[in-house]
Amino acid sequence: MNGESLKRKSQGVGASVLRNEDRRYLEGKGEYLADLQVPGMAEIAFLRSPVAHGRIRSIEVPEQYRDQVFFASDIAFAKPIVAVSAAKGFRASDYPPLTSDKARFVGDLLAICIAPTRAEAEDIAAACIVDFDELPAVWDIDVALKPDSPRVHDAWPNNIYIETRIQTGDLDGARKAAAVTVHKRLRMGRHAGVSMECRGVLAHYDRRMDELVVYSSTQFPHVIRTIMAQCLGISEARLRVIAPDVGGGFGPKNNFQPEELAVAALSMKLNRPLRWVEDRREHLIASPHAREHRYDLKAYADSKGRILGLEAEVVVDAGAYSVWPWTASMEAGMSAGIMTGPYDIPVYHARAVTVATNKSPLGPYRGVGRSGACFAIETLIDAVARAVDREPIDVRIENMVPPEAMPYTSATHKLYDSGDYPQCARRAKDAIDLPAIRARQQKPEPDGRLIGVGMASYTEQSAHGTAEWVARGLPIVFGYEPALARFTPDGKLILFVGIQNHGQGLETTLAQIAHQELGIPVADVIVRHGDSSVSPYGMGTFASRSMTMSGGAVSAACAILAKKIARIGAHLLQAPQDMVALADGRVNFGDQSVSFAAIAEAAFLHPERLPVDEEPALEANAVYQPGRSTGAFSYATHACTVAVDPGTGHVEILDYVVCHDCGTMVNPMIVEAQVVGGVAQGLGTALYEEIPYDENGQPLASTFLDYTIPGSTEVPDVRVLHMETPSPHTRFGIKGMGEGGAIAPPAAVINAINDALRPLGVEIDQTPATAERILDKLIAAQGGRA
Amino acid sequence: MKPAPFAYHRATSLEDAVAQLDDVDTIVRPLAGGQSLVPMLNLRLAPVNKLVDLGGIDALKRAEEQGDRIRYGAMLPHAAFEDRRVPDGSNGLMPFVGGQIAYRAVRTRGTIGGAISLADPAADWLLTVVALEAEISVFGPQGPRTLPAGEFVTGPYLTALDHAELIDAIVVPNRPKTERWGHYKATRKIGEYAESMAIALFDKESNKARLVLGAVNGPPLVLEESAAEISKGANADKLSLVIQHELVASDRGFSPSKLHLHRTVSLRAIQNAGLL
Amino acid sequence: MKIDVTLMINGKRRTMSVEPRQSLADLLREDMRLTATHLGCEQGVCGACTILIDGQPARACITLGVAVDGAEIRTLEGLQDDELMSILKESFHDKHGLQCGFCTPGMLISSWDLLKRRPKLNEQEIRLGMSGNLCRCTGYQGIVRSIKAAADKWAGSPSAREEAEG
Repeated sequence: MNGESLKRKSQGVGASVLRNEDRRYLEGKGEYLADLQVPGMAEIAFLRSPVAHGRIRSIEVPEQYRDQVFFASDIAFAKPIVAVSAAKGFRASDYPPLTSDKARFVGDLLAICIAPTRAEAEDIAAACIVDFDELPAVWDIDVALKPDSPRVHDAWPNNIYIETRIQTGDLDGARKAAAVTVHKRLRMGRHAGVSMECRGVLAHYDRRMDELVVYSSTQFPHVIRTIMAQCLGISEARLRVIAPDVGGGFGPKNNFQPEELAVAALSMKLNRPLRWVEDRREHLIASPHAREHRYDLKAYADSKGRILGLEAEVVVDAGAYSVWPWTASMEAGMSAGIMTGPYDIPVYHARAVTVATNKSPLGPYRGVGRSGACFAIETLIDAVARAVDREPIDVRIENMVPPEAMPYTSATHKLYDSGDYPQCARRAKDAIDLPAIRARQQKPEPDGRLIGVGMASYTEQSAHGTAEWVARGLPIVFGYEPALARFTPDGKLILFVGIQNHGQGLETTLAQIAHQELGIPVADVIVRHGDSSVSPYGMGTFASRSMTMSGGAVSAACAILAKKIARIGAHLLQAPQDMVALADGRVNFGDQSVSFAAIAEAAFLHPERLPVDEEPALEANAVYQPGRSTGAFSYATHACTVAVDPGTGHVEILDYVVCHDCGTMVNPMIVEAQVVGGVAQGLGTALYEEIPYDENGQPLASTFLDYTIPGSTEVPDVRVLHMETPSPHTRFGIKGMGEGGAIAPPAAVINAINDALRPLGVEIDQTPATAERILDKLIAAQGGRA
Repeated sequence: MKPAPFAYHRATSLEDAVAQLDDVDTIVRPLAGGQSLVPMLNLRLAPVNKLVDLGGIDALKRAEEQGDRIRYGAMLPHAAFEDRRVPDGSNGLMPFVGGQIAYRAVRTRGTIGGAISLADPAADWLLTVVALEAEISVFGPQGPRTLPAGEFVTGPYLTALDHAELIDAIVVPNRPKTERWGHYKATRKIGEYAESMAIALFDKESNKARLVLGAVNGPPLVLEESAAEISKGANADKLSLVIQHELVASDRGFSPSKLHLHRTVSLRAIQNAGLL
Repeated sequence: MKIDVTLMINGKRRTMSVEPRQSLADLLREDMRLTATHLGCEQGVCGACTILIDGQPARACITLGVAVDGAEIRTLEGLQDDELMSILKESFHDKHGLQCGFCTPGMLISSWDLLKRRPKLNEQEIRLGMSGNLCRCTGYQGIVRSIKAAADKWAGSPSAREEAEG
């Protein structure tokens, strides 16, 4: 709450408490989807399209496998997945669990093969013969936008999901007043999410409960239940969706997958337990992809680099179908909507185009559209600084929204709630020691490498609620989180929550919130999540929302319990109610105390011990929405120093610093690690990760031999500096921060590389900045000199 | 990603293995460490009806000093070289190379013979045995034969092995104690296959130099002109020109960036031998 | 056609009939229900499936069960009483060396082997030694700190000295 001073407790908000959830993982006792077995279970291998675009004429199944292969017609009762948006002109796409008319990308689902083992199921898939009328592949944005291009969706007039515009302010005026115009074109390579655990689904019928049970490695089980029930034509009361331990989500597990629907539908139809465990090749080819953006930007600035107006076009290659619920348009929309970043840019015109191609559907991935927007605006700022011959950090800071302007409404109508962007940038600049690097650059390096420094700043909308989701026009509005806080008669507290922890430490940090309200030891708090039958309906974990939203709900529920425990404890101690204090799992009055266990026992098993008018039982529930649902804005500046090897094109990160502000930190240890993990992924985007497609729409990176994610020798130590400007609108002033680390690195690294290569007149405008691309640019700049 | 079905035979001897491989009706492949073959089987990229496991053939795991050379059994794992559990006559080059192949968990199983017979152009051992002028000892239905390492690989993933033949040993002549070596490898990421790698050798006593370049989409390139320049004591600029010229003249059709990379890597190997 | 193999798995002798194509990973996970060993790529790249074969780390995903007949296999489940492993687990907990936990068993086995062979390591050497284990959550910093802390503790322990001398 605004203005409330936080009384620090040893295991409460602000403490770097070690994690409750570690034990089972360290013992190897975690249960991920592939660890689950149900008696009588059959394994699934999907028959996936080997062609990017083709009409399916027939699929021939060998006689002996006829009753082990299933097609769309076998699960015709399952309705296609249709992501819709209220945005004008949006074209929805039917995404059936199995396609039967055309294959629209390599990996599109054609049939389900079942067998006692996965190996045998793959044998069956390999034995099927698919006869296609192959169509030319729409393998690229340029191909898709040609007027005579084949249509990914036959009924559409073109291959555009949607085009939206933003027009704020007088762009003509800005153009005319500008002393300097900078034009940049940029590209970001297509990605896969690459959680270490791939996706997976296990479905079976529970006859005692008369419900279909679907385990899925998902980030939002309740929401999956809602949409899956709709598509299966059953009531949600007859469907249970459980996310077991999930080995990383990052966004690709935050969609309603056709595989989930296909497995559930077939399990229902056959009344058999069925399991599908995605393998890495499937994941790289056919899980929802990410990040493939193109930018065309113009900045109109004065002679000092102050930006008077910004013009942007973002085009996203969104693949063959809209992911549910976000729709294909989310990336471009989000990117255009945050393009002005932490800057006070009053004039902004943008065009966001979402294009359909014969590739795997594009979906959210840590940072979502913000990573692309940051890459765009931050490389543009550096270019503006070069054009006016000034230090980029100075131009950056001068353009930033100053702290006294908070709360600030951006040109895209986002309300930045609190923060000191310039101070954060200054701290990052000091930490990277910019003057020392500039001095170092004056002399050649002994090993011939080129040193560069780059920075990137962003502001990130997190924990956005009702107003924001309504504005985005999605069919579900992720407006709140619930919590049920329930004591056991022996004094332990169970928190039933609607988020879904998959590495963020929420089994600990939510317990810390409980400690903050109740003084209960964190080790006595169990967090139950991920099961639609166990937890109250919640939205899941994504959009950096969980700590803010679920923390707020847990806090509210525990506050109710705290009062009740105080009443009962005071009564048992015969003390005045306002004189007791809750600490260490006990109600204390002077040197007397009574344990929560004794209070819980009274509440459940001996209500005769309770005060008059006190209801038995000891549980409370609450729902939470932030004070403003337009989001709490975390922000950061990243700075990095690189050494570019002109002999090999290889880039080494010499130093990486993040100064960030996510409001009040619940667990600094976990926050720091989330930043570092995000940075590692951002470095992957910047330097390593890409799935190129050839002219036939064939993905050219389908195993870890071709698709590289950073390892321990590629990610440097990351220094993280914290600032804490509480949000005025959230419980304890918490802001979301799970994605931020992955937003800025592509910009920071590319800016650093360009800084290093500036003396050679070389600029990189694309991610990943592979060694080969850098060498190609270096050689071209030298005119191919031997 | 599970393999298609195949039969399995654990060979009891080299002769037994060859007899199993000598089959024209079914596709029979030898299984060495499996670190390259099994990934391919998992992807169903390598059709196989039967695997003949060489893991039980002790004769293939021995290293024998034979006067002026060392005979290394084909089934010795990379870790055996890394850990110096086998003798070394290369002044430390082979232990060094063994210790930087992929990752430790791969090195405990992957074998020198397996790597060379797969003939991935970026295989570390391939470059090394050519640089060290080793001989590949082969055994097949017609009995044993030996060929120089430089003639063993004929193209990407192509070797001079005839039907049902196996590598049984790699014979490496001891290098002069006065010889120095330099190695340089460029990878996208530590532990991956090389984008370019080179080994330079120079013996100041005999004034003989040798420069070999690997990951060149075919057999390793022996850069003889460049080696001659090293012997002459050329400086870096002159060497760079000669290397460039020799690379362009090779039959490999390198792109400009590949030329640049290979030239850099060659020079750095020479530098690492202390020669520049 | 199945083949009989006998393996010592976590100290217990097991004889089983396996298909030649069945990986050691699937044998452990599906047949023996030892699910600590995870599958992340089935190409031998990610390291999540790293186990010990005759005391040496290896990738269970690209090891055929039939090829390790007679071998001694140790998974994370079988190292519960091992002193170095206990030190590692405690350090991973103390230094926040895990987030989602999926890569963790492989990290523990690989770092166990690393510290056994090279007890004195600095952080750069740890990073190099662990380059064969991928993590997508932590950015490796917590893992490296955990292993360094474990190395420091292990270096001071009597058992480590015994092993070094033995």
